[in-house]
Amino acid sequence: MTGLSNRRARIGRLLAFLLTLAAAMAIASAAANGADDHDRRAVARIAAPPLGLPPVPVPADNPVTAEKVALGRKLFMDRRLSRNSTMSCAMCHIPEQGFTNNELKTPVGVEGRSLRRNAPTILNVAYARAMFHDARDDFLETQVFGPLLARVEMANPSVGAVLATIRGLDDYAGLFERAFGGPANAHTLGQALATYQRTVLAANTPFDRWYYGGDQDAISPRAAAGFELFTGKAGCSACHLVGEESALFTDHGLHDTGVGYARETASDESVMVEIAPGVSVPVARAVIRSVGLPPEKDLGRLEVTDDPDDLYKYRTPSLRNVALTAPYMHDGSLQTLTDVVRFYDRGGVPHDGLDPLIEPLGLRDDEVAALVAFLESLTGEAIDDLIADARSVGVGG
Amino acid sequence: MRHPMSRGLLAAFVFAGAVAVTAAGPIGPARADETCQSPYLPKITGQEEFLYVWTLGMEGVGDQSDKLVTIDVRPGSATYGKVIAKVSVGGRHEAHHAGFTDDRRFFWAGGLDDSMIFIFDVHSDPSRPKLVKTIDTFVKDSGGVVGPHTFYALPGRMMITGLSNANDHGGKSALVEYTNDGLFVATHWVPDGKDMRGATGNGADGYNYDVRVLPRKNVMLSSSFTGWSNYMMDFGKMLADEAAMKRFGQTVTLWNLHTRQPRKVFTVPGAPLEIRWAWGPNHNYAFTTAALTSKLWLIYEDDAGQWQAKAVADIGDPAKIPLPVDISISSDDRHLWIDTFMDGTARLFDISDPHNPKEVYQKKIGAQLNMVSQSWDGKRLYFTSSLLANWDKQGNDNEQFLKAYTWDGKQLTHKFTVDFRKENLGRSHIMRFGARSLYSG
Ligand code: HEC
Ligand code: HEC
Repeated sequence: MTGLSNRRARIGRLLAFLLTLAAAMAIASAAANGADDHDRRAVARIAAPPLGLPPVPVPADNPVTAEKVALGRKLFMDRRLSRNSTMSCAMCHIPEQGFTNNELKTPVGVEGRSLRRNAPTILNVAYARAMFHDARDDFLETQVFGPLLARVEMANPSVGAVLATIRGLDDYAGLFERAFGGPANAHTLGQALATYQRTVLAANTPFDRWYYGGDQDAISPRAAAGFELFTGKAGCSACHLVGEESALFTDHGLHDTGVGYARETASDESVMVEIAPGVSVPVARAVIRSVGLPPEKDLGRLEVTDDPDDLYKYRTPSLRNVALTAPYMHDGSLQTLTDVVRFYDRGGVPHDGLDPLIEPLGLRDDEVAALVAFLESLTGEAIDDLIADARSVGVGG
Repeated sequence: MRHPMSRGLLAAFVFAGAVAVTAAGPIGPARADETCQSPYLPKITGQEEFLYVWTLGMEGVGDQSDKLVTIDVRPGSATYGKVIAKVSVGGRHEAHHAGFTDDRRFFWAGGLDDSMIFIFDVHSDPSRPKLVKTIDTFVKDSGGVVGPHTFYALPGRMMITGLSNANDHGGKSALVEYTNDGLFVATHWVPDGKDMRGATGNGADGYNYDVRVLPRKNVMLSSSFTGWSNYMMDFGKMLADEAAMKRFGQTVTLWNLHTRQPRKVFTVPGAPLEIRWAWGPNHNYAFTTAALTSKLWLIYEDDAGQWQAKAVADIGDPAKIPLPVDISISSDDRHLWIDTFMDGTARLFDISDPHNPKEVYQKKIGAQLNMVSQSWDGKRLYFTSSLLANWDKQGNDNEQFLKAYTWDGKQLTHKFTVDFRKENLGRSHIMRFGARSLYSG
């Protein structure tokens, strides 16, 4: 453990320095521009991320400032940024629901239009090297135009229309000027939203305090046994990586686990529908089809590359805060962490393209429970602060 | 025991009678009105003359906008059974329910999607309602309530149920009170899991749907549906979404009408929707139907003066999810019409023993069926088809209509149909009755 504690001391000193620096910077700029406590703490989080997270990558042309955080947060929470003022970013990335939506497998946008994929969490999105389940965009700064313009999400007719909306709102007067030295344009809109999202960091979890912090009692023996399985017999860490000094629990790669294959090839005649707590009845597919549009296909990464080898490949998500972000997988098809672990235990869904790292695990029930306990130890501290931070602004209209 | 009829209702009866006498002019006996309105509303004194149908704009149909459609239902009129006016409000707002102010001069109509409220003048010319006011601040006024649903007349006030909220589009919501002039008065949050707000019961979910009052008992009931995400969602997608299906209301809340304080939360699983109080002076009970579990529920005051809820009948075969939607009670409390959406069928229940209702008649009205309104004498019934824009059936089964029938105590006889797609109108939803006689006395 000496290696670990040396490292800790080193990181600690670095953190302390950065913190002071950041705090000084934040206070200086805040004093000038009326940024509040939430903004200052957000800037400090970037400078010194909580235990278990690596340094935050920040693009050189978009340094984090309290003014940008404040503006980005306001934009993120603002329902007026959609065509009919019903949808904000936060309506699908809901702060109280792990910055995703726990109440839907896949969300709905303007006028209730269907999305085919589960909303990923915004927590720790600063570290995502590629955005979306199929990794089709690579910067937070550019990602925002996806939802703003998608007909099924916020349904704005054009980038110009979004900018015109913002210009027309009195409560935005001067905010872009203060944050960027100029009026709102496509560039600064992306930068503001990206900046806020970058600050939504959550770690210093019981796992982090145990593994990186040396606190033996931070997690239960069962969760510790789960970690052994995660990095051993169950083979999870082959894709959900755990580093020496920090962990993002992802290889940033794309894999076929069989979830997409299972969905696209399902042929069951009926679906179990829960009509009251604990009461389910089978409903024929034909009935379901009579009251809905046909679900859209989802071929995964192949849709981006046209490479047949990419069929049903999806990005490995981070597992941080995973206890807060149900339902799981790119289509929200698994409802609980136990469902997910049992899915892996069965060897995913065997078919031609299945990733060779996924195979039946032969886990005992107590091992399943241990893995779940471990996954539950990955919930960051101070989530409530991030929620309060998000809710420090109104939802617009 | 105290005499069950309190002063309040007596006054209401006397008032209604007075209107009947003064306005009984050329149209005949004072005996007609829909039966599911607030007791504070004046009655139409004779045959209803106009039907106001709050209609959802439909993509690809006409101007694609929500509109108030007026249909002439005067027997013998040259335009009987025809559309005689329509007022488009511009844009789609998920038009749903609507109601009159207590003076019956204005008609408030809501949009469940963007929470717009449109107020029509129906008294200046009852054959041609005019849009006179728009409230676009409902969410802000109410402190974050989304989806104005029921518009229920209280003295000088409009009590509006919200279905959702602006924080997460889930089911937590509230009742919101405005003056007849459109000024915000108060928001009354429905008790939820975290805060029972002083009510008793086995837990609450905060969900909301309909509201109805029984003034002589000083009680108000509210029911519970689901939040914006679900009611706006493609119905087929939702049925196959296990997470979404867990987000339906399981409660009916009893309130103190005067103080607006919640008193008791009943567990009524499976989304209890429309509430109808019985009319009889000794009838201290109301019905509601649970949409998903297809059960008829009775909310009643027991012999000990305690309010109770119990399931009293199945509606169709619950395993097939027939989806009971609108209901209409007869003015003599002996019959209850129940529409089931999935099989497009109107079902008549004999409720003369409210603890043992029995289905006594059914008739298929169309491929899909939602709302039903009946005249006060029970002789005329009107049906419409649309449930929600994204819940209506697909393809040819997406019939959109208003159908008028007469009821002779044995069967429904078809009178006329207005095809809302052919007429380029949209999806037909709630109906309310109008008549010139209301404003002539
Ligand atoms: C209607 C729901 C909805 C709205 C509104 C919405 N998102 Fe998303 N968001 C999603 C879904 C679903 C995905 C995943 C899409 C995919 O992978 O194809 C996503 C993905 C993302 C990602 C990528 C995360 C990752 O880990 O890859 C970010 C960042 C993001 N959204 C931010 C935003 C911002 C900023 C806004 C507002 C401008 C916004 N979202 C509005 C549903 C929504
Ligand atoms: C071959 C690489 C690989 C291995 C091995 C692997 N995973 Fe995954 N994991 C993924 C990918 C890819 C996804 C996303 C799948 C999707 O979206 O359909 C995923 C998703 C998940 C999720 C859902 C996260 C969310 O937010 O939806 C959890 C939880 C999870 N994995 C846990 C585990 C555990 C526990 C193990 C070991 C038993 C494991 N994984 C092994 C690649 C892997």
